[in-house]
Amino acid sequence: MQAGAKGSSKVLLSATLSVLLGVGVVAGVGYKLNSASDDGRAPVVATMAGNIDTPKGNMPHAIVELGVYPDSLSSGAHGADGGSHPGYVTYGPSNVIVVPAHSLVTITIKGYDGGETLNAPFFGKVVGTSDGTMSVNGKVVTELNYDQVQHTFTIHGLPTSMQDPLFVNIPLLKQTDEVMGAFDETGKLPEPNITTFSFYTGSAGEYVWNCEYPCGDGTYAKFGAAMSKYGYMSGKVTVVEHI
Amino acid sequence: MTTLSNKTHSVPMPSKSLITKLNMGTGIVFGILCSQAMYWLAKGWFDPEVPMEENRILTLAMFAWCIGFLIGIGAFIGPFRWLIGKDLTSEEQLYMAGEGQGISRYFKYCTDHKVVGIQYLIGVMVMLGAGGTMAMMIRTNLIQPGSRLVTPEIYNSLVGLHGITMIIALIVVSTGPFGNFILPIMIGARDMAFPRLNALSWWMLFTAIVTLCSAWFYGGIPTGWTAYAPLSVQAGPGMNAFIVAIIIFAISSAIAGANITTTVVAMRAKGMNLTRIPIFVIGATISVALAIPAFPTFMASQIMAAFDRTIGTGYYDANVGGSGWLYAHLFWIMGHPEVYVILIPGVAILMEIAPVFVRKPLFSINAAILGFAGIAGLSILVWAHHMYASGWSPSLNGPFMVTTEMISIPTGLIFLVLLGTLWRGTPWLKLPMLSVYAFIWNFMIGGITGIYLSDVPADDYLHGSMFVTAHFHYTLMGAALTGAIAGLAFWFPKMTGRMLHERAGYISFWMVQIGFNIIFLGMFAAGSQGQPRRVADYAQTFAVSDLISTIGAYLTGAGMLVLLWAVIHSWRNGKIAPTNPWGSKTLEWTVPYPIPLENFHETPVVTSDAYGYGRSN
Amino acid sequence: MNTSDSLTPSLGDRTRKFIKRHDVRMSFLYSSVITLVFVILGIWFYPKFMPRVMSEQMQNGKEVIVYFTVFSAPIAGSVIGIALYTFLNRHKGDTPPPDGPAIKTNTPVVLVWTIVSSLFCLLAIVWGLVEMNVSTYAATINEPKAVVVEVTGSQWVWNFKYPDYGVETQQLNLPIDRPVVFKITSVDVNHSFWPVQLGVKVDANRHAITTARTTPNALGVIDIKCAELCGLYHAYMESEGEIMTGANFNTWVKSLGGHVA
Repeated sequence: MQAGAKGSSKVLLSATLSVLLGVGVVAGVGYKLNSASDDGRAPVVATMAGNIDTPKGNMPHAIVELGVYPDSLSSGAHGADGGSHPGYVTYGPSNVIVVPAHSLVTITIKGYDGGETLNAPFFGKVVGTSDGTMSVNGKVVTELNYDQVQHTFTIHGLPTSMQDPLFVNIPLLKQTDEVMGAFDETGKLPEPNITTFSFYTGSAGEYVWNCEYPCGDGTYAKFGAAMSKYGYMSGKVTVVEHI
Repeated sequence: MTTLSNKTHSVPMPSKSLITKLNMGTGIVFGILCSQAMYWLAKGWFDPEVPMEENRILTLAMFAWCIGFLIGIGAFIGPFRWLIGKDLTSEEQLYMAGEGQGISRYFKYCTDHKVVGIQYLIGVMVMLGAGGTMAMMIRTNLIQPGSRLVTPEIYNSLVGLHGITMIIALIVVSTGPFGNFILPIMIGARDMAFPRLNALSWWMLFTAIVTLCSAWFYGGIPTGWTAYAPLSVQAGPGMNAFIVAIIIFAISSAIAGANITTTVVAMRAKGMNLTRIPIFVIGATISVALAIPAFPTFMASQIMAAFDRTIGTGYYDANVGGSGWLYAHLFWIMGHPEVYVILIPGVAILMEIAPVFVRKPLFSINAAILGFAGIAGLSILVWAHHMYASGWSPSLNGPFMVTTEMISIPTGLIFLVLLGTLWRGTPWLKLPMLSVYAFIWNFMIGGITGIYLSDVPADDYLHGSMFVTAHFHYTLMGAALTGAIAGLAFWFPKMTGRMLHERAGYISFWMVQIGFNIIFLGMFAAGSQGQPRRVADYAQTFAVSDLISTIGAYLTGAGMLVLLWAVIHSWRNGKIAPTNPWGSKTLEWTVPYPIPLENFHETPVVTSDAYGYGRSN
Repeated sequence: MNTSDSLTPSLGDRTRKFIKRHDVRMSFLYSSVITLVFVILGIWFYPKFMPRVMSEQMQNGKEVIVYFTVFSAPIAGSVIGIALYTFLNRHKGDTPPPDGPAIKTNTPVVLVWTIVSSLFCLLAIVWGLVEMNVSTYAATINEPKAVVVEVTGSQWVWNFKYPDYGVETQQLNLPIDRPVVFKITSVDVNHSFWPVQLGVKVDANRHAITTARTTPNALGVIDIKCAELCGLYHAYMESEGEIMTGANFNTWVKSLGGHVA
């Protein structure tokens, strides 16, 4: 140990500053990772459309519009150049959706992509909507054949006593192979298949959504690539008290 | 032999020899060149848009980095010269041993075991720093429900890369710095059995560390450190970095293991028969001897994963007849012996320290050896206790439970040896000795919770929960890392010539140990409540336990920073150390600092074991 | 040490002298206190942190943790107590302490220690084996009346199929007091099916069916979690379920369009 009071206070200063420097470096790494986690896109906030009468009573009605695209370049959801993975399928315009609590939420999804077969046939069924159905291009259905699906929109979350459970599964009808062939050649998006569905929200809480259709081509069970990259085929649903 | 003092001997300068021009810098340059060249070559054959072909390109480029670096630093000059019939001259060999080169020899392919020991120490410190930073990120993300710091993808990468970085760091933390620097001097040898292989094992580890770090630039890994298939086959490009790093690391540790074992068997000083070998040497040897059969299965498991990812074999793909259970077996046949590879040297260091600071002989060294040997032997028979819940073969859960519970018996002998050494002594509570007490507390908790986990009905609840995470941190960090830090504090005077700053050491010790216990006692609670492990987010029920763990983590992190400051400050201007500050009786304390190139002016003759302390009443 | 007469002390004398020693008494005191702390930990602390017990398996798991803590408390207590005594009896100062007694070994102590630890090990082994066999046997004799649930893990949602009832759902509802057999598989990577309050856990593997058996014996909510890292949303792969009365279960089955057996 250093001799003398002056020497030892110098040592103490050096030690304290070094520890603070170390803390600063670690905090800097944390800040960098946090900014890398934020893709800078504004969330999709539901628009309020007055009140509506439902079998569960009169409640606010909220509307959300989403699209699911065959690649990021055509979606515009990751920047004009398609972002870091222009070839990945993606939902758009953002993967964070904000909806009000204790409301009927109606979501319209425009589906532009083709598809093959689901890994798990269960996700061909409509689950958790207000009346157990969805409408596809105007037609009301309760399920799709497991080989007619382009993607699914599946909302789920952590069961916890602090928020109401929420589970919704919507399979989206795929575009035909001819239509997708034309897209591959021209890069021009086809006419979308429009799916509309509604569900009730309970109390405020945070949930997640992801696609259950294997669209991560070239990877095991096709669940890698876009499927495993947050922000493309996965995101959050935040239920807030007031929009 | 020629004189051994650095001061009077001029630096040998073999003229026109390539080895004088090569160093870490040329290694890095050549490594980058090779990897870039391989990358462009591979891109000409394969399409990076297709995942499987992208894996091929990256895997090849990463291997090219490793091999290119080793060529660039001159690792293969010795064998190459031998092949062409123009062996290295003795002047060249002296140069390679770092004779008279000062600090620059630490950045070269230097065969002096003391240099390699310091290189390992720096490498371990870097890995612990990186792994520790990742741990702070993990705990910060879990400070409250909602995963607000990072996305789940980045979180999973943090967890997996923290795990593998720390595991690699802990495997080498005791046998690397101390097994290389101290062990040969401790047995009275002039160097290790294979000095060039010694340098090779360190520089291979360096290339593996760099490769592992590159995973972050390729999107990280979605798996834990266990890299279970088939998730590892599904994983993105970052997984290739993990696979290549492990393959290189497995070779590096096999080389190091062969080196240590041969040195201890063949190069002990005259008179050091089997009853007089210090316990650290025995522990380190048993540990690396256990690693030699175990680590190749890890390497094999990764090679198969690489084949699945690059050429579409089906080792782990159940669609074509493969199975994830194959991976689990190969991994855990390595994985369980490996945790004892980590534990035994740390414990052996503490057993080396206790007699010195209590001034009593090591109690029942035979029980200590039996304990280590029993643990090492049994550890090969227990691996499927990590697979109780896998559904692989429920009827075999019983036999594996039996073998696993039996490990508690040799483990108990370790406690007996330490307690027997402490009993009726008055310990001198310097930092190394304090760590012995920390070990006793931490390993007691770690060991007993291990017994809960080895019981199948309890494991059906606890497997895959934070309880398991807390258990293995208690044993790996609370026992093995504590032992290694004790070793650093103990041997710091001999490795650097200076005393480690005492007060900073104490402050760091208490911050780290108290913080550590807060983290993982909170984690036992979270696991008991039902929180799974490796989760970026959790239900509100676990909020209090996780908050407590995070606060403990910050305390531990700060404590480790204090230790880092103490090491750096003391290394540069700590108090100059006497030759034998602790009054220890092992051979390494008989040599002066700076230690001569070949350690001893005259090879010592040993006439008794190193634990001749104690009055005889 | 010999006394003035040439007889060596008897075992009784040696024992009395031993237990009168200061270090022995203090170590014993510390050990007893720490043992008591660990016993309280096992009996009071752990149960507070474990979730509701809703099956035999969960009860067994909880008992193991509690009882093993109590059994190992004396071991932990004595080890830590002895260490604590020596810690408090430390040498103060900057020079090395004087040498202690040159005790190289003590064969009776080593033998007794090994035998006692082997007995504890045997106790743990027998306890575990007996419990495993009881569960397995009970499971086999209960099989015919069991509710079969086919559990499918997929990245990152569980779904459950009841083949006897014609129902497929993401909620795991079960009738109370009826054995249930879970047949678990995965459609992609490894998952691990963990209905927390029921105390069973088995991995879900592709192209393989693993089995878990239990009998829920309390009404209430259960959480189903995934206990094996399976990729991006592993943390969110949780489902809810409920153990309900038989009548409510039948009502629920019918509400999903299924049929009651």
